[in-house]
Amino acid sequence: MNGVARTSVALNGVARTSVALNGVARTSVARSGVARSSVAQRLCLLSVTLATLVFTSVAMAQLPACPEEQATALSLLERMSRASTELDYRGVVTVQRGDEMQVVQVSHFVSDGASSESITRLTGQGARVSRKDHPLDCVHPGSQLLQLGQALARGDCGLARHYRFKVSEGDRVAGRQAVRLKVDPRDVYRFGYVMDLDQDTGLLLKIRYVGHGDDTLEKSQFANLSFSRGETGDSDIEVEHQARHPQPPAAHGDHPAPMSSLVWRVNWVPEGFVATDSAAPGQARRTYTDGLAAFSVFLEELPREIRPGEGMVRRGATTSYSRGLRLGERPVLVTVIGEVPVNTARMVADSIAWEVAHAD
Amino acid sequence: MSEKMRESLSALMDDEASELELQRLLTRIGDDAGLRDSWCRFNTVRSVLAGQQLAGLDRDISGAVREAIGRESAPLTSTSRHQRWLRPLASLAVAASVTGVVVLGGQQLAQLENNDARALASSVSPVGLVNSLGATTVQASYGTRSMPGLEPATRTAYRELARQRMQRYLQEHVEQASLNSPQGLLPFVRVPQIQE
Repeated sequence: MNGVARTSVALNGVARTSVALNGVARTSVARSGVARSSVAQRLCLLSVTLATLVFTSVAMAQLPACPEEQATALSLLERMSRASTELDYRGVVTVQRGDEMQVVQVSHFVSDGASSESITRLTGQGARVSRKDHPLDCVHPGSQLLQLGQALARGDCGLARHYRFKVSEGDRVAGRQAVRLKVDPRDVYRFGYVMDLDQDTGLLLKIRYVGHGDDTLEKSQFANLSFSRGETGDSDIEVEHQARHPQPPAAHGDHPAPMSSLVWRVNWVPEGFVATDSAAPGQARRTYTDGLAAFSVFLEELPREIRPGEGMVRRGATTSYSRGLRLGERPVLVTVIGEVPVNTARMVADSIAWEVAHAD
Repeated sequence: MSEKMRESLSALMDDEASELELQRLLTRIGDDAGLRDSWCRFNTVRSVLAGQQLAGLDRDISGAVREAIGRESAPLTSTSRHQRWLRPLASLAVAASVTGVVVLGGQQLAQLENNDARALASSVSPVGLVNSLGATTVQASYGTRSMPGLEPATRTAYRELARQRMQRYLQEHVEQASLNSPQGLLPFVRVPQIQE
């Protein structure tokens, strides 16, 4: 009796590990409802799972659940997303974009179910940006895409549909051991990333934006980090900016009628991108995120004709693409700005059209 | 023409010249007949490749373009808050004046205009179609090779426009990005001059 119980405990431990690492195991456990059933059943489940894992990664892809490494990566991403909003930390971050290098101080703490954060520039412009009392339960679309929660257990592959993940041992960053997450896009519409996450907390310690041909577009990393509270030091600040807090998407019809009966819409964004906020029909900006990248589309109606054309510039990972064109009978300038390849920006700009607003 | 200039010119033709290279080219091209010839020759080759007619391409408009850009870009590097609001107007002025220069080129360029319209129309294909042309879009993605048929003058003006729009809109983009990408407020470091 005793022996069986002990085995059960041991197996339980194994099973749990497998559950934590492996969406497949978790799914089958949940589905067949045997989480608390006999050792034999559990053993069976476990061996089936292990067999599947060992033998066919190709076959795995055809199962409803995600392949193990992808699922592991997805839970790392979820942990990372939660860590960045739920932990107390402060430190110094260096940001490298092209040949430009910036140093900023970051601070983040949580109290009474709300987070407050700030970044202070230590080089260049004397500026501080802060966001105070942001409720922890206010989860914006970008974070929702990373925090799959139960959906992962149900076999939702989330970002793994658009990126291929690879987990390995990471560097030491700011004196802390990291887990490396290599993120490669599955299509041509996004950049790749190499992320180093803190092994203990999941916090993002270092990120490299990777363009075509393993080109480093941008890199930022903690130079030092402490998990404690504290105000950022005295700095020479000229500009103090409170970050805005746009409304998450709301049900359609919450907005006042637009001034004109024609509104513009974006007819195509790469798969996996969702709107970040509920754009009022007359609004000149729309922003989309896939959880890792974001881009915004701006439309200006021009008072006079513009010679059709396009142009782009890139700073670090940020692309700015402008296109002058006639939309319907009206000359407009469309600008797409964001951390996506220029081709994505161009295709998004291509898809913009007027539509007649329907009175709700 | 030096090897360096040739490289710069080639980069410009591929839309990959830095702003510094562009300035250097525009400064030199007035005095360097060889460079001017190469510019025209490159243009001709590109136009032929793009299926354009050759009319009007031997006309050197670089002087006027250089002047137009020089006039407009100097005050734009300043960062006073008032000027920030003037920028949209100034940027349109650059586009307009450069466009003006090109249009003044005369009848032959009207033809070019038609080609532009066709190029534009063909690039605005149904999204499904664009999606299915995976290989094409990959190439377009990183080569930064623009639509065929646009004069470099316009392309330069448009690049300037894209640069100014980035300055103007980046902070608004970052407000959203900072709530919807995993780095918290860090995207704000991308804004050269944060405004209150």
